[in-house]
Amino acid sequence: MNGGMHRIATVLLALACAVPAAANEKAEPDAARSPYWEPIRQLMFGDRVINPDGRDVIRVYLNTRADDASTVPVAVKAQIAQTDNDYIKAIYLIVERNPSPTAGVFHFTPSSGRAQVETRLRFEDFSFVRAVAEMNDGKLYMAQRWVKAAGGCSAPNGKNFVPEALLGKMKLRFDDSFVTYGQPNLVQLMIRHPNESALAADFDAGKVPQFVRSVKVSFEGKPVMDAEVDFSISDNPNFRFYFSPQDKGELKIEVEDTHDRRFTHSVPIAEGSPLPGG
Amino acid sequence: MAPNAYGECLDRMKITATILAAMSVIVSQTATAAQPAAIGKFEITEVAPGNYVHYGSLQERSPQNLGDNANIGFIVGERCVLVVDAGGSLAVGLALKKAIRGVTQVPICHVVLTHVHPDHFFGAAAFLDDGPDFIAHRNYPRQLAARARPYLNYLRRDLGDLADGSEIVQPTMLVDARLEVDLGGRTVLVQAWPPAHTDDDLTVFDRSTRTFWLSDLLFVEHTPVIDATITGFLAVMEALRKVDAAHYVAGHGRSQQPWPQVLEPQRRYFTVILEETRAAIRNRKTIQQAIDEVGLAEAKHWAAFETFHRRNVTTAYTELEWE
Repeated sequence: MNGGMHRIATVLLALACAVPAAANEKAEPDAARSPYWEPIRQLMFGDRVINPDGRDVIRVYLNTRADDASTVPVAVKAQIAQTDNDYIKAIYLIVERNPSPTAGVFHFTPSSGRAQVETRLRFEDFSFVRAVAEMNDGKLYMAQRWVKAAGGCSAPNGKNFVPEALLGKMKLRFDDSFVTYGQPNLVQLMIRHPNESALAADFDAGKVPQFVRSVKVSFEGKPVMDAEVDFSISDNPNFRFYFSPQDKGELKIEVEDTHDRRFTHSVPIAEGSPLPGG
Repeated sequence: MAPNAYGECLDRMKITATILAAMSVIVSQTATAAQPAAIGKFEITEVAPGNYVHYGSLQERSPQNLGDNANIGFIVGERCVLVVDAGGSLAVGLALKKAIRGVTQVPICHVVLTHVHPDHFFGAAAFLDDGPDFIAHRNYPRQLAARARPYLNYLRRDLGDLADGSEIVQPTMLVDARLEVDLGGRTVLVQAWPPAHTDDDLTVFDRSTRTFWLSDLLFVEHTPVIDATITGFLAVMEALRKVDAAHYVAGHGRSQQPWPQVLEPQRRYFTVILEETRAAIRNRKTIQQAIDEVGLAEAKHWAAFETFHRRNVTTAYTELEWE
């Protein structure tokens, strides 16, 4: 192809691409100047100072280009250890352009072992996803990532139909075959639930969407991770986190949804006993 | 294809064919800017006596192709015509109707809506005047109710005013298992399948020529898409293989491969995803690791791989992790 021809083709392609590009910004905007963040910040944190460059405390991991906007894997990882004197007590996970931006607030303790959570998110539009870590002394640190995915909240709820008999069924999978006392152990919690989006097209405005609103994880009655979540979390909610047992005991999960249904699940944990899914 | 396919400029830039298509279409659109949206060139192929196929573009929906992205067609009997899908916009449906009238004047009595995807159904409004039965799977209305609004929004986002007149048409006849349709001089079997590509897949089989219209239960050339269940899709494919067909029509793409060997590339693709995703789950890999790793060696075999493959892996992982 000669130079002139090539130029024409390039111009025409630019035209052909103009429609999707205009419909959704392709380039990553400046995180500090996002107009969507300011009202959310005001509402959630008021006048509190947020360190905008919190990468030494907290990081967000996900693919900038997501292929399925209704199931976008995300990992939020603390960059510091949980100690009795110095620990992350909460992580706020926010998809700033979602209709209900707070995907989850995850509470941790020193015995969580590590303040880390992985889950799957719905994205309604190209958006920053932000994680704000709140330290036990109240200081706030933020990190964010730009994600190109759209339509995940208005996508139909019915795709992964959950039969009534399976609703609230849980499964725990451990990363290791056996538990190690005194160390963070990675565990994955899977919950069978449609986690209906209130934005889904088939949804009646008059109804209360069914979604998981709270997940409490405890070990021998002591909190490991408590989370308040909403329908920015994908259907069949899935969470990966750590727990750090000192001795044998019972790992217990309590889940509550917006229709006031309560589901519980527990597994005995002891050194030397094989872990489920491990 | 799939519910909401987003264009990726970079991918398209790699395809020389796109350059030519973009050039010719922009020229033709400039010339006919004041006209209602219409397909310029619309070819049909008689794959077996009385069975006419229009092969849609393998590209994603765009103002240039007007949603002409799926294989659609019709079967002509002595008394009736049966339409198999109406294409992705009113313009495509009207072009198909014109093509039918170029072949026969017998009434259009049936329009089969093979499944709930917009590249197959948005042209149905073109046939409302004919008053046909609109035939769909038992599960179709529930899915349509859930998807209609976003599908209309995405259509308008992609086509703008060129989407005018494309509308949701409700089915008037639902199929639970099998429906025999007499077109006069030939009968056609419409068959409903368990969840596979979607949870509302229909196939059409013309008994007189043994022509099997599989719609999106078979992809050739174009990356197969899973919008329901990978294990279900593989199970349905085993049943499809046993159908005694002399001719076939895929939902996307065309091939010279004989039946049933033509099923093999899709079966291989799904088997790769199934086995590698199961291995990833067994090896405690996260969904993100699976999305980043599974099945990438298949890329060279399929069009639109970048758009659909990782979504397939996501769907497979979220299904298989509960096994």
